[in-house]
Amino acid sequence: MATREVISTGNELAAIAAVDAGCEFFGGYPLTPSSEVMHVISDLLPKKGGVAIQMEDEIAGVCCVIGASMSGKRALTATSGPGMSLKAENLGLAQMAEVPLVCVNVMRGGPSTGLPTRVSQGDILQSKNPSHGDYKSITLCAGNLAECYTEVVRAFNIADRFMQPVIVLLDETLGHMHGKADLPTLEEVQAGIKLRKTFDGPPEEYHPYECGPTDPAVLNPMFEGYRYHFTGLHHDKNGFPTEEIETCRKLIQRLEDKVEAHKDEIESYEEFMLDDAEILIVAYGSVSLAAKEAIRHLRDEGIKAGLFRPITIWPSPAEKIKEYTDKIDKVLVVELNIGQFHSEVQRAAARLDIEGLFKVNGRAISPYEIVNKVKEL
Amino acid sequence: MARTLMRFTGVGGQGVLLAGEIFAAAKIKTGGYGLKTATYTSQVRGGPTVVDITLDDDEIYYPYANEGEVNFMLSVAQVSYNLFKNGVKEGGTIVVDPNLVSPTEEDRKKWNIIEIPIITIAKEEVGNVITQSVVALAIANTLMNAIDKQVLIDTMLSKVPKKVHEVNLKAYELGEKYAREAMASA
Repeated sequence: MATREVISTGNELAAIAAVDAGCEFFGGYPLTPSSEVMHVISDLLPKKGGVAIQMEDEIAGVCCVIGASMSGKRALTATSGPGMSLKAENLGLAQMAEVPLVCVNVMRGGPSTGLPTRVSQGDILQSKNPSHGDYKSITLCAGNLAECYTEVVRAFNIADRFMQPVIVLLDETLGHMHGKADLPTLEEVQAGIKLRKTFDGPPEEYHPYECGPTDPAVLNPMFEGYRYHFTGLHHDKNGFPTEEIETCRKLIQRLEDKVEAHKDEIESYEEFMLDDAEILIVAYGSVSLAAKEAIRHLRDEGIKAGLFRPITIWPSPAEKIKEYTDKIDKVLVVELNIGQFHSEVQRAAARLDIEGLFKVNGRAISPYEIVNKVKEL
Repeated sequence: MARTLMRFTGVGGQGVLLAGEIFAAAKIKTGGYGLKTATYTSQVRGGPTVVDITLDDDEIYYPYANEGEVNFMLSVAQVSYNLFKNGVKEGGTIVVDPNLVSPTEEDRKKWNIIEIPIITIAKEEVGNVITQSVVALAIANTLMNAIDKQVLIDTMLSKVPKKVHEVNLKAYELGEKYAREAMASA
């Protein structure tokens, strides 16, 4: 596979990825530590005939992205934790109405305004259910600079495939760190673009929400002759509000099942030095970098540790986690929160003896902290 | 080459970030690995800022310097000096601007402390205070011998507008001159 070497930051790579993936619209509001995504894309998009708008607030930022997407365009917004809280209601609308979009969240310390310039992974559970109600969130998590690019590209294809928002998690460390990334070529990225389905039969036969039990809606771009109603209420095959018992049940069940039945298309993870591992470390995002460095040190001392790194966080690679936790006795989850993914590992493993190393003061976890914790196990 | 860890510290707004980016990019251009991270506070200006630069021939995962492993630190603000000096390993080199940072006698025993008036050089000898990051870059590279000089200068020039190439080249030469003098008198 041909690659190209780029020297950049995670935030900049996320913006470049969106443009390369065919994103034509960005709407958002600059928020530390995600602001550079907006800075860079507002430079790139107009040069390609696209549009980038700084809206009046985070809510408007996601709303205009929903609008752009309903016009058939690939659209991006980017923010950090406080912005996710504000966007939550409309991410729910996009789940309900089945509007594809990509939302990059560069995580910082929370809750509330928290620690604006410092690193955290406190938005793992928020990503699972940003809004109220039942739906199945799709959340990808970059673990190095190259993935700040490749996961944003993947997010656009998944959003169009499943017709719903896809969240891409970065964190302050990845967003701002500056170094080398080996990226797929532009030709390869463009060859891999799979746009959402459209209906091309007679307009009177178009029913966007009439689909199989595990299929997403088929939303044609608005104002092109294919009419439907758009709402956050429970709706019928044409999008009109309804309280009909079976229609309501089927709709919400389908929002769950369209992802659940096809989660193998989304699942992604990295296995690092796990072949002979006697100690399993689970980490993701920038923390996985410290974990890899720690594993190097541990192996130098003859301690056989390995890393399982989920790249798709939601839905979680639960079966794969279980496979490893069945095999390996000592399991340590390392994350910059108080066990948000730890509880998912416990669930997947069906074990309550999963160890945790957590930090919530805005500082990174160092490789030596992991080494010391592993030695205590 | 073993891993080289450098740390530039100052306060927000002084432009310590650029030197880190130049070092990382130059190392990558020579076929190695370079990473720069910056840690700063939410104050726009005046908050302590630290830039960690990791250079290695092998792949680098963790992007921050581990405390006590930093080979070289440069500081142009007392508050940042105090906060971040303990990251430097014993016997490591610390360059300070003596007009802005006063190390203690104990510090001088623990580390190889070199005083170079970086800001004054940039302001008065180069004639543009913004070039302080390039003066700092030259000092760090001359003392650490981290990157081929020409690669570093080419990388630096690729990151600044053409109209300021000359002034930045002057800043580099001056930084190098002061570093060489400091080495000679040590």
